[in-house]
Amino acid sequence: MINAFLVFNGQGQPRLTKFYTQLDTSIQQRLISEIFTLVSNRPPGSCNFLPLPPLLAASGTSSSSSSATEQNDVPAFVTYRHYATLYFIVISTSTESPLALIDLIQVYVEALDRLFENVCELDLIFNFETLHATLGEMIVGGVVIETNMEKIVAGVRAQGTVAKRPVNEGRSGAGGTMGAAMGAMAGGFQGMGGNFVWHGR
Amino acid sequence: MPRNLGSAVGGLVLAWSELPKVHCGSRFEKSLYDLIRGLRNHKGNEKEYIQNSLKECRSEIRSQDMDLKATALLKLIYLEMNGHDMSWASFHVLEVMSSQKYHQKRVGYLGAIQSFRPDTDVLMMATNLLKKDLAASLPTLIALPIASLPHIVTPSLALSLLGDLLPRLTHSHAAIRKKTVVTLYRLALVYPETLRAAWPKIKERLMDKDEDSSVTAAIINVVCELGWRRPHDFLPLAPRLFELLVDSGNNWMAIKLIKLFATLTPLEPRLVRKLLPPLTNLIKTTPAMSLLYECINGIIQGGILGEGEDFSAREEIASLCVSKLRGMISVNSDPNLKYVALLAFNRIVTTHPFLVAEQEDVILECIDSEDITIRIKALDLVQGMVSSDNLLSIVSRLMRQLKASSAALAQQNGLDDEPLETDSSDEAGNGPKQRTKSKEQAPPLPEDYTIDVIGRILKMCSQNNYSNIVDFDWYIDVLTQLVRIAPAPRARELESNSAPTPKLAADVSERIGNEIRNVAVKVKAVRPAAVRAAELIVSRLNTETASSRPVVTGALKPLAWVVGEYAYQLLSPDDTLRSMLDIAPRVEYPEVLATCLQSIPKLFSHVAGDDQALWTAQRKSTMSLLMARVIHVLEPFAQHPYLEVQERAVEFIELLKLTAEAASGQAPSTDDLQQDAPLLLTQAIPSLFTGWELNSVAPAAQYNVPIPDGLDLDEPLHPNLGRLLAQADSLMLPTQGDDEFEVYYNQKPPATAISSGPAIERLLDAPEEVAGSYQQAGEESYLDADIIARRKAERIERNRDDPFYILGSTRSEGTSTPIHNILQKENGPDLDIDAIPIMQLDLEKLNIDNGASRQQQQRPKSKSRQRIVIEADETLAGSGTSTPRHNYESENNSDSFTKSKAKKLKQQSLLQFDSSHLRDLSLDADRPDDGFAHERQQREEAEMAQAMKEVQRLRLEMQRANERIQVAQGVPVEGIVVKKKKKKSSASSKVKTAVTTPEGEGGEGSAVKVKKKKKKTVEAAVEGGVEEQPVVKSKKKKAKRVVKLDDDDGQNNEGSQATAAVDDGQ
Repeated sequence: MINAFLVFNGQGQPRLTKFYTQLDTSIQQRLISEIFTLVSNRPPGSCNFLPLPPLLAASGTSSSSSSATEQNDVPAFVTYRHYATLYFIVISTSTESPLALIDLIQVYVEALDRLFENVCELDLIFNFETLHATLGEMIVGGVVIETNMEKIVAGVRAQGTVAKRPVNEGRSGAGGTMGAAMGAMAGGFQGMGGNFVWHGR
Repeated sequence: MPRNLGSAVGGLVLAWSELPKVHCGSRFEKSLYDLIRGLRNHKGNEKEYIQNSLKECRSEIRSQDMDLKATALLKLIYLEMNGHDMSWASFHVLEVMSSQKYHQKRVGYLGAIQSFRPDTDVLMMATNLLKKDLAASLPTLIALPIASLPHIVTPSLALSLLGDLLPRLTHSHAAIRKKTVVTLYRLALVYPETLRAAWPKIKERLMDKDEDSSVTAAIINVVCELGWRRPHDFLPLAPRLFELLVDSGNNWMAIKLIKLFATLTPLEPRLVRKLLPPLTNLIKTTPAMSLLYECINGIIQGGILGEGEDFSAREEIASLCVSKLRGMISVNSDPNLKYVALLAFNRIVTTHPFLVAEQEDVILECIDSEDITIRIKALDLVQGMVSSDNLLSIVSRLMRQLKASSAALAQQNGLDDEPLETDSSDEAGNGPKQRTKSKEQAPPLPEDYTIDVIGRILKMCSQNNYSNIVDFDWYIDVLTQLVRIAPAPRARELESNSAPTPKLAADVSERIGNEIRNVAVKVKAVRPAAVRAAELIVSRLNTETASSRPVVTGALKPLAWVVGEYAYQLLSPDDTLRSMLDIAPRVEYPEVLATCLQSIPKLFSHVAGDDQALWTAQRKSTMSLLMARVIHVLEPFAQHPYLEVQERAVEFIELLKLTAEAASGQAPSTDDLQQDAPLLLTQAIPSLFTGWELNSVAPAAQYNVPIPDGLDLDEPLHPNLGRLLAQADSLMLPTQGDDEFEVYYNQKPPATAISSGPAIERLLDAPEEVAGSYQQAGEESYLDADIIARRKAERIERNRDDPFYILGSTRSEGTSTPIHNILQKENGPDLDIDAIPIMQLDLEKLNIDNGASRQQQQRPKSKSRQRIVIEADETLAGSGTSTPRHNYESENNSDSFTKSKAKKLKQQSLLQFDSSHLRDLSLDADRPDDGFAHERQQREEAEMAQAMKEVQRLRLEMQRANERIQVAQGVPVEGIVVKKKKKKSSASSKVKTAVTTPEGEGGEGSAVKVKKKKKKTVEAAVEGGVEEQPVVKSKKKKAKRVVKLDDDDGQNNEGSQATAAVDDGQ
C-alpha cells in the first residue's frame, strides 16, 4: 500500500501532502523536512529510492526482527522523482513494486501535464485542489485504482474543476512583481519522460 | 424556556451583526489565490502574514455565507499543508461538507481528508451526511464520501456505513465501483466484519469477465493486500488469477498478480508448475523492466527456486533469474536496477545463500557506491555473507569510506589534522594530509550512516565469537582508528533525559571501546597489543582535547578499565597514570568517571607497589608526591552527586591518606640500614586488585544460576521495612539540601563497567608471542599514519629474531644478509629457503612451516589462526540465550539486556496500516465460524442492541419535539412514528438492517422537504438527533440554522418555538 504521497519544491515547501493514515500536522511536517534533507543531498546519478528517514526507521523494519509478514504493514520504500523545481515522493509498504512506483509518479505528472497543458510549479501552487483531485483518481485510501492516463484525466475533468493558470485570470492588476516571478518559473518540467528506460504501463 | 429564548435572540443578534460584513465582505475577504499571492509577496515576514490570514480565516469560517466559509476552509487547508494546525475547524469542515453545492462540498470533504485525526470528535455527526451523499445520484458526488472514508473511518463509522457502501459495488459507473472496492478494504482494516459481507460481492466482480478492466485491476490490488495476511482464503481464486495473468496484458496488474502468486505458491506447490511457463515467457519477452523484475522477485519469494521434482526447468529458471539480477547490479547499470536487484538478493540470501555468494564481486562493488541507499542495501546483504576470507576486504572498504568522510568533515570544520599527529613519527606526518586532499571531493557522510557503518563493522568482526577474524592485530588497529573516526556525541544528550534515549554517538564509541576490552579479555595472545592500543588512545585523549574541554567519548570507560586491569602490560604505566589523572576531572559522564576512578588506584598500585625495590629517599619522596597528586585529583569527587563516583572516591582517598601517613613514617633506607617499603603500599593495596582470574561471562548466565533451596525471595527483608524506610527518609530529608542529589538518586542506576562488565581475567604467565600478520595492501588508505608506523615498528620488532623476515633498509643492520635478498629476487618468493643454510638459527620458538608461510605472505590465515585462542563466554548449562552472537551488545551494559527487551515491545510505526485484525477473520463461507468469531458476533449484537435502545430513546425524544412543532403547524406525524416502530422490531438481530434504518428515514425526510422550508428544518433537527453523543452540538447548529431561516422568512415566532422544542428535547 501507499502510505503517503508528497510533493514539495526545491526549498522544501510542500505543494501537496496526502497521508493515507492519520498523522499529526507537526509530525507530518517533521517527516517532510526529514525527507527533504535526504532528497536534496543526493549525488547526481543516484537511484530514485531513499533510505527510510529517521522518523520512519526508528520504529520501522530495518533493525527489528519482527516476522516478515508484519513488515508488510510498515513503510518500506521512499521513492522519489525530481522534475524541474519539484520533488514527488511516494512512501509505500513492501507490497508495492518499487519500479512501478517510479512509473506511477510519472503517470501522475503526465496526467497533470495533460490537464494543465505544459504544467509548471505555478499551476500546482494555485490549483492544489486539482492536484488532490488528480491524485484521488489514481489512489484511494493508499491503493492504486487507476493507471490509465485517459481515464484519470477524464475522471478529473468530470469534476469540472480544472482551472486555468491564474495568470490568465485577469486579476493580475494587484501584483506587479508576480508576472516576472511567474515567467521565471514557468519553465515546465524539463525532465519529463526523460532518462528512464522501463515503462510498466 | 427563557434560556432558550435568550439563545435564540442571541443568535438573531449575531446574525444581524454579521449581515453588513456579508454584504460588504467581498471587498475584504481573500480568495485562496489572494492568499497564495500574498504569501509570495511577503517573503521575509511570512509568519506575520500567515498569522493575520489565520485570524481572518477564523472569522470568515464562522460566517453564514457558505461561499465565504468554503473559501476560508480552502485557505485553511492550504495553510495546514504548510504546517498550521486546523483541528479547531473540524466542525466548520462538517458544515462545508453539508453544503448543497458540489464545489463547496468538495472543499469540505478535502478538509476532512486533510485535517481529521483520530481524536476528531465531530465525526459522529457526519454519519448521516455521508449516508446521504453515498445515496446521491451524481457519480461525482458519490465519489466524494467514498474517497474520503479511508481517511476518516472508525470502527463505528464503518459499521454504520457498510450497508450504504455495499450497493455501490454494483453502481453503473466503473469509477464508483473501483473506488468502492478499495474503500471497503479500508473499512475492513478497522472493522474486519466488513469483509464477511463485502467479500462475496467483490469476488463476484472479480469473476465477472465483462467487468471493466480498471475495476478488475483495483480488485487485484486489494486482493494482493489481503493476500499476504490470509493466503489460504484466496487459493480458490487461483484459476481466475492465472487467467488474468496470461490474458490481461496489463503490466500494472500483472505485477500485482505475480506478487499475489508469490504468497500462494508456498501453500499450493502444484501452482509452481503451472506458473513457470508464463513467468519464463514474461521474463524473456517483456519490454517492461518493472515487470521483468517482479517476475524474478516473484519466483524468488514464491520459493519457486527451491527444491522440487522438475529439476531441469528449475535449474534453467534459477540461472535465468540470477544472471538477470547480476546484469542489473553490474557496474554500469541503472542505479534503480542496482537497488532493486540488491533488494532481491537480500531476499534470496536467506534461502539460497550460495546463489548470492556467487555474486560477491559485484555486490562488494556496491558498497562503494556514491548512493547511500544502494550502499545501505549492499551492506545489509554483505553482513550476511561475511566469512573469514572476505572480512578483511569488506572492512577495508568500509574503513576507507569512513576515513575519507571524517577527513572531509575535519576539513569542513576547519580543523587541522596537525595536532592529531603529534605523537607520530615524522615520516607518518605527511601521509594523511595528502590523502585528505585527494579525497576532498567526497562529501562527509551523514552521522547516522557513519554510526550505522561502525556498528556493522563491529558486528561483522565480533560475529560468532570472533570466528571470522584472522588477524587480531589488524582488528585492534581498526578499532583504534574507529575510535578516532567515531562522531563525537552531540553536546549533552544525556543531561536532558536520564531515561532510555538512544544516545547513539556516545554509544557507538563505547561499543568500539568494548570491543578492545573484549579482545583484551578473550584473546590472551593479543592482550599486550590491545592494552597498548588502549594506552595509546588514553594518552591521545589527554593530549588531544584541550585541557579546558570535557572528555565526552564513551570509549574511555572500557579503555580505562583495560589500562587499569592490565597495568603490567603497559609500556609506560607512569605516563598512563598521569594521563588518567589529567583526564579524570574532565570526564563528562558519571558512569565513565566511576570506571576511571577505579582504574587510577589500579595503576597507582602497579606503579608504586613494587616490593622488590628499595625504599630509598628518592622513592619515598616520589611516592609521597604521587600520592598527594592522586589524592588531590580524587578529593573533589568525594562530594560528587553521583553515588558510585562518590563512594569510590571516598574509599580511595581514605586508603591513600593512610598509606601516605605510613610512607612518611617509614624512614628511607640508608647505606647501612635497609628499609622495606611500607607494607600498605606494597602488599595491601596491590592485593585489592589481584586475585581470581576474571573471565567473560555469557550475558544470560545469571539467569541460569539455580535458586538455592530455602531462599524465599518473596519474604520481606524486615517485617516493618516500610516504616524503617520512612524513618530513613524523614531523617535524610533535612540533610539533603542539594538538589543535585535528588536528581541523581532518582535516576536509573547506571551500569558501571566493574559491576556489570564482562568477567575479567588475570594473566598468569607471560603472553605468548603473537602470530605474524600480513600486510593488507592498501591498509594505509584507512589507518592513520601513526597507527601504521607503530604497526610497522611492531612487526619489525617482532620479527627481529626471525631469520626469514627480510627487514627494510632502515634496519639493515639486522639479521638479513644481502645473499638472502639476491636469492629471493632471482628465485621468486616460492624459493625454498629452508634448503639453504645461511647461518646458525635459533628455531626454538618457531616451527618451520610457520616461518615459510610468513615468508610467502600469501595465506598465513589458517596457520596463524591455530595459535590464537579465543575464550568463549562462560555460562551454565541450559543457557539458551548465551550465544556469543550478541556478545558485544549485552556484555557491557547491564541495561542493554532490558533495552533489547524493550525493543521487542515494538511500538507502532508511523504511517503503519494496521491490518492485524484481518488475520482473525475467515472469508471462507463454508467453514463454520469458530468460537471466537461467534463470541464476538454475540458481543457485537449485544452492543448493537444497546445502541438501538439509545437510538430509540432519542427518537422518542425527538418525536416529542416533532409533535410539538407539528401541532403548531398542523401536520400529522403518524407516518414517521409507525415506521420507526416497524424498524425497531426488525432491527434487533441483524447489524446491517439496523444500519439501514436511518437511511430510510432520511429518504422520507427528503421527500417531505420539498414541500416546505419549515418542514425541512424540522427534518434536519430530527436527523441530527439520531446521533448518540454529540447531540448537544448538533442541536446548537440546527438551532442556529433555524434562526437564520427565520431571518430570511421573517417568521420569528415559529422559529424560536422550534428551537425551544429541540433544545427541550435533549
